[in-house]
Amino acid sequence: MASFAITEAATSAPAGSRRGAPRWLTAYLYILPATMIMAAITYWPILFQVYMSFTDYGLRNLRFDAPAPNFVGLQNFIDLITNGITVIPNFSFWGMLSFNLFWTFSNVIFHVTIGILIAVVLNTPGLRFRGFYRAIFILPIVVPTLVVATVWRNMFDTDYGAINQGLAAIGGIVGITPDHFHIRWIDQIDPPIPGIPLPLSYFALLITNIWLGWPFMTIVATGALQSISKEYYEAASIDGASGPQQFFRITLPLLRPAMIPAAMYGLIVTFNLFNLIYMVSGGGPLRQTEILVTTAFRLVNEQRLYGLAAAFGIYTMIILLVLTLLTNRITKATESYV
Amino acid sequence: MKLRAITLLTVALVLAAACGGQGGTNTPSATGGTAAGAITGNITLWHAYGTGGSEETALNQLIDKIRTANPSAKITVLQVPFDQVFNKFQTEAAAGGGPDLFTAPNDELGNEVRANLLMALDSKLSGKLSNVAQLGVDGLKVDGKLYGVPMLFKAVALYYNKDKVPTPPKTTDELMTMLKAGKTLVQNENAYHMFGWSTAFGGNLMDSSGKCVADQAGWADAFTYNLALKQAGAKFETDGGRADTSFRAGQVDMIINGPWVLGDYKKDLGAKLGVAPIPAGPKGKAGPLTGVDGWYINQSAKNVDGAIALALALTNADAQKVYADVAGDVPVRTDVTVSDPLVKAFSDASATGFARPQTVEFGNYWTPFGDAVTKIIEGKSTPQAGIAEACAAMNKANKK
Repeated sequence: MASFAITEAATSAPAGSRRGAPRWLTAYLYILPATMIMAAITYWPILFQVYMSFTDYGLRNLRFDAPAPNFVGLQNFIDLITNGITVIPNFSFWGMLSFNLFWTFSNVIFHVTIGILIAVVLNTPGLRFRGFYRAIFILPIVVPTLVVATVWRNMFDTDYGAINQGLAAIGGIVGITPDHFHIRWIDQIDPPIPGIPLPLSYFALLITNIWLGWPFMTIVATGALQSISKEYYEAASIDGASGPQQFFRITLPLLRPAMIPAAMYGLIVTFNLFNLIYMVSGGGPLRQTEILVTTAFRLVNEQRLYGLAAAFGIYTMIILLVLTLLTNRITKATESYV
Repeated sequence: MKLRAITLLTVALVLAAACGGQGGTNTPSATGGTAAGAITGNITLWHAYGTGGSEETALNQLIDKIRTANPSAKITVLQVPFDQVFNKFQTEAAAGGGPDLFTAPNDELGNEVRANLLMALDSKLSGKLSNVAQLGVDGLKVDGKLYGVPMLFKAVALYYNKDKVPTPPKTTDELMTMLKAGKTLVQNENAYHMFGWSTAFGGNLMDSSGKCVADQAGWADAFTYNLALKQAGAKFETDGGRADTSFRAGQVDMIINGPWVLGDYKKDLGAKLGVAPIPAGPKGKAGPLTGVDGWYINQSAKNVDGAIALALALTNADAQKVYADVAGDVPVRTDVTVSDPLVKAFSDASATGFARPQTVEFGNYWTPFGDAVTKIIEGKSTPQAGIAEACAAMNKANKK
């Protein structure tokens, strides 16, 4: 009876029915509400941002009845890449971009590597309490970033932080006095590794974000590992392949289709990781750990230079677009391997 | 029948609302609302006091009294985090929303006036600020017009623990001697808390045209002195909370901070707490930035008269006494007697302070000089080079 009804419905309402509205019109009507909402909260703000980026939009233009801002053409874009931002001393767009890219790739490399290794370990046949480990490891994902950042910021406190106290306790075992562990994780300006211009706060941020980022990669890798047939490993064993050979010749290539999109997602999230940097280091010391989005935020929140910040945002979007396309091209992420 | 009932109900509601609206006008307010005008209708106010802090306690006490005395007024209070209050107000007020009034220091006053977000109050407040110190009134003026109801002075001073420091240092030399003798001081390492030292060494930030002249004299000497303090054992903290904790826990003997923490310090230190102006230097008294907390009326306020009446009730003599007694804040009114010697000390510090400028040029002080403080105190730059670099950056930003 049911199948008859479906058949009848299918045959009685062909595409472009003469009696009712055309099917394409029905489809558009269905997506119309969502399109209108998206237009109001996404497309319009983006278009307005593009408009702002060509003006000197500031606080004086914010009020609804305020005069329109002055059109400045490409001046904001030029000022940014020629380091012509005078409200931020020693502003260097290219220096900041270089740090932003280094920050992004250094984090994601750790996330993916640790994520895969732990997923492989968790996938070991006969491992006890596997479910418990998986539940524990997912915690960093479910805790809000703001809470994570605040806790880690306190842990890095010079005097009372758990990191320094823990190091001092360990040092005490081998006879090193606690004075040696009065480490100024966030405030120290001098780079801890001579010749490498990265402040200690970068390493504090890296540690925090590694803790935050690897569980997601583990979840993705765990899912992908489940889909790899055991027959590959059995055949490899019969052919005499060692464990490492199986890992590099079977596991890694077959994880790739799942891990590359995850890594690309990780790149974009880490590139724009505002919460963590703002809350842990505040971009300091001396703006050495500022990334593009934290600087754009300062231009809005502290300087009220909306036009300039809009241009900054457009640059960020272009950079991420190029980064994504480039990564996609290099890694052939959208190709199928199985 | 049904239509008639609805009509009668509507008329009754309109009459009730009209009568309710008049009620506050005829009710004398215990907090002075009537003298200033009626506190009626819906009024939304924002503040940025810390949760559970003494300033919030003082405000809540006053609001409770005003609500009781003005039953027709519906006052909605919203707390906004301090680091977001200006941005949130500016964004919402620009769109025609936001509160009817809000209180904050005069940090962003000039910018908000230039953006047409605040209402000029000269005519509305005419004759109503006769007991307010001129410094307080001037602090809320931009280009000669008044844009707020003055309430409190805010300037930093030297807190000390009387158990450790029976007599506070009056001069920079005395402070240095104390530190060398083992007393301890913690300083907030930033361009606001350390501003006052510059005046004590003869420094001047800007000339009359707004050009930075800090590199000419005084500022570098002030930082040279601070480096000497550091060598003598003074701690410099970038984390204000950590600096507070060390003083409140009795780990350090002195700290430079503002009256907004007086109530909280008193809870921990009680009678041991003392306050004195920042020690005078070789060129005169220290000149901390003196800000004025006021109540500002939103240009888009829905209830302007109610908001002004409420602001006046929150700043009258009784209200300022509550702020002084509960929170340790310094009143701007001259007819409020401050009995607490600690508040009196802050009052003295404010009087000798450097009135916070509302110019565009001063807005470009913070980032360059914030960097200079970090570089100099952390030993990455000499005081001379650090101040010269900051001054050049400020002038570049101001096109001077």
